[in-house]
Amino acid sequence: MATHIRRPLLNPILVREARTRMRGFRPYLILTVFLLLLILSTFGIYQYMVFQARTGMVVLSSHIGQALFKGLAFTEMFFIVLVAPVLTSGAISGERERLTYDMLLATPLKPGQMLAGKLIGVLSYLLLLIVASIPVFSTVLIFGGVELRTLIWVVLLLGSAALFFGTIGLFCSSLFGRTTPATIASYTIVLLLSGVPLLVASIWPQFSNPMGQSPPPWLLYLNPFSAIVAVTTVTPTAFQPDMPFFGVNDPFMLVPFLSQFSVGIVRYAPEGPVLMPVYRATLLGFWLGTFVLLWLSSHLALPARRWRPRWSDLGFVAVVGAIALLMWVRIDWWWIVPPVDPWLVPMEPMPVPIDPAPVP
Amino acid sequence: MTLAIETIDLTHRYNKKLVALDQLNLRVEQGCIYGFIGPNGAGKTTTLRILAGLLSPTKGEVRLLGEQLTTRAAQRLVGYMPDFFGVYDDLRVWEYLDFFARCYGLRGARLRQVVDELLDLVDLAGKRDAFVQTLSRGMQQRLCLAHALVHNPPVLLLDEPASGLDPRARVELRELLRTLRDMGKTIMLSSHILSELAEVCDAIGIIDHGRMIISGPLAEVQQQLAASARARLRIARERDVVLALALLQRHPLVSAASAAAADPRALIIDFSEALNEEQCAAILAELVNAGVAVSEFSARSENLEELFLRLTANTGQANG
Repeated sequence: MATHIRRPLLNPILVREARTRMRGFRPYLILTVFLLLLILSTFGIYQYMVFQARTGMVVLSSHIGQALFKGLAFTEMFFIVLVAPVLTSGAISGERERLTYDMLLATPLKPGQMLAGKLIGVLSYLLLLIVASIPVFSTVLIFGGVELRTLIWVVLLLGSAALFFGTIGLFCSSLFGRTTPATIASYTIVLLLSGVPLLVASIWPQFSNPMGQSPPPWLLYLNPFSAIVAVTTVTPTAFQPDMPFFGVNDPFMLVPFLSQFSVGIVRYAPEGPVLMPVYRATLLGFWLGTFVLLWLSSHLALPARRWRPRWSDLGFVAVVGAIALLMWVRIDWWWIVPPVDPWLVPMEPMPVPIDPAPVP
Repeated sequence: MTLAIETIDLTHRYNKKLVALDQLNLRVEQGCIYGFIGPNGAGKTTTLRILAGLLSPTKGEVRLLGEQLTTRAAQRLVGYMPDFFGVYDDLRVWEYLDFFARCYGLRGARLRQVVDELLDLVDLAGKRDAFVQTLSRGMQQRLCLAHALVHNPPVLLLDEPASGLDPRARVELRELLRTLRDMGKTIMLSSHILSELAEVCDAIGIIDHGRMIISGPLAEVQQQLAASARARLRIARERDVVLALALLQRHPLVSAASAAAADPRALIIDFSEALNEEQCAAILAELVNAGVAVSEFSARSENLEELFLRLTANTGQANG
């Protein structure tokens, strides 16, 4: 007779994910499409840079490296934002649809363990995608121009985005009974975070009062594309608008397509262009959002008495509280106070020449 | 002896209005197969889900092997197989059992041993490496039953285990249930295919509108059938049918006699009280002495199906 049940040493959901994640053709199809997309991006950016050089622009080797790195990092972020929610949006609702949820709930497995197992399984797959892309990324090494600090920031942002957007899928999966509404809801949230701020930022100057104001940086704090474009943008050490340098009109935007995603991250001060480091707030926001959504999901996944306090809530409160405290203590690090747009600063009144008094 | 399952005034309401269980009192002895019968919506699944710790009752008490029901106690003591169960199509048979065994904290050599033993028990050792989706419905049913046994629970709750099975798979399932009973498990299974329960159960309970109508050992329940005992008679010559009907309808122990619709020479006799063998022989002798050529005479009890229909119809009328 069963008298004692031990806690599983290894999360059973994770073991199952590890066994089944690469079964069937779908995971390989996603991997192939992803790598093809990266290779095409690399080729396209390189051709564009060569074309620029032929038209008389000064294109240094480091510019090609920076452009490639920027384009590849963006493509990787785009893919993560697109794939992570869909991979997790069936985590709980799929079990309900498959009629296995009751069987799981009858075991000592807790909904939190199910969510964690699913999330880690999906993150492992996304990590596989990132690792598989290293050979394509290594083309950047041929040209150089990328700092180690930037590389660390990009890895941090990609990892945090995978976690956050995966958790959005989990949250919707716990909230909705079926996978299709959960996937639709996940993509709606993704669109609200990724598309809408860019749209608002691009029309902000036309509707601001007085007109012509730059969009406030907080609008882009949770936008993964603004973050990745901002972190991979290289500020020129000396701004020389009179030099026929590549991208002279917009020294930050090496890849023209990406200028659509860079709205609001560059301000033009009298001393030259200034980069808005929105990625700092993005990183902290993603961490905070991940734990809040995980906490909500762990309650929503329960079949009954969903909002009864549990001991695990203390853990979530501690983590969320720690992140909130960190954000409060280091607010000057991530909250951006942008410079005033120079064209909105009232001009100094011109000195009026005073006629010398007539000599009597 | 401690009861395996005991519920005291178990009540459950959905959305505070719909009463699924109404002061249900259930007593299941250890080591027996208990059949839980009721029409759709009677409260069978709700009862089983409460016993499995998946649902909290609105009111009442549940004890498993004398222990107050808690979620942890249910997880430890109960193996549950839902009525509509799912399988992970992308898992192999052994991986499926391995997964559930891991959920109960099994690991290492013990884990492998349990998986092998269960595959042997449910006769799926030959399908060990097959994908679950390739199994027949009967095999999937047996695999699902095996998943409920990974932590060796003393109580098994099986919700409609025979639904959708072909006759051969049903026979195999019955054999498996008997084996499990012999291993000392208490099995509670719900079904609306009553003939199956009669063959495999030691005790039955009939539930309707959330209330227990009748419950007890199968023999005891069947004793109640005697109150409306019947007999079937077959007359050799068609011309004797009218005479036989006239004689029977005049008999003080017969409440009704009629010819069967499908066979005009077969008569169904309802007796007003339970008859013993001598009384049956006397009626037969009366018919033979009157010149009726009787080719068959068989005393017939109301079967479980008829009893179920009669009892649930009465409850329905009372509630209506």
